[in-house]
Amino acid sequence: MTTPSLTVGLPPHAAINCMDIFEITREPIDKLGLEKRLLTGAAGAVVTFDGVVRDNTKGRRVVSLQYEAYEPMAVKEMRRIGDEIRERWPDVERVGVIHRFGPLKISESSVVIVVTSPHRRVAFEACRYAIDRLKQTVPIWKKEIFEDGEEWVEGQSPEVGQ
Amino acid sequence: MNGDKIKINALLFGACREAAGVGELSCDLTSPADVAGAWNEIKTRFPNLEKFERSALFAVNEEHARKDQPLEDGDTLAVFPPVSGG
Repeated sequence: MTTPSLTVGLPPHAAINCMDIFEITREPIDKLGLEKRLLTGAAGAVVTFDGVVRDNTKGRRVVSLQYEAYEPMAVKEMRRIGDEIRERWPDVERVGVIHRFGPLKISESSVVIVVTSPHRRVAFEACRYAIDRLKQTVPIWKKEIFEDGEEWVEGQSPEVGQ
Repeated sequence: MNGDKIKINALLFGACREAAGVGELSCDLTSPADVAGAWNEIKTRFPNLEKFERSALFAVNEEHARKDQPLEDGDTLAVFPPVSGG
């Protein structure tokens, strides 16, 4: 694969943003470790969203999930979400997003998002925004493995280029 | 320059990759080229991808792109269904 020649400008909050964490991994996600890496003395609230594998879809028993990611672009899009959060909620202290790919078992975490802020409201709002945006823009796909077959989960068609 | 031959790298993901049976291919195009032209070329080679005509999304050099985005020699085009992470 050729290396794309992209000129990426520094985001407005680059100085703070470089302490944020955006990762894609094949390994189990260390949720407590992520919280610890992001916790600073200025934070008074840590809000964590933990997305885990559910054992059913519309009444059909799910055995496992298989995630596929366009890794370099996925990390870029996560970083972009971090930039959007800092524009909307300048009080946010730290943002961390780790998404797992490969085969996942029931109740394992597929994505963990941590937002810290001095006060709770901002962290709650920003964390919810992060997972909602991730589901729209980050190039990751999942396939459900059922007892009697398998199916790619159909994502929603987003507004591209926004 | 118009009429020049260019080569791009194409990546397929998720259900698109599975339908085509390959995740990566190179595509020869004639300048001026765009995403729509490359997509047509890819569908010609992998007719199973026709079912993604309405839903397929694109990225050029790891940035979301529209079908009218121009392509240059050496670009990487990604083709994929609507994302379903989380």
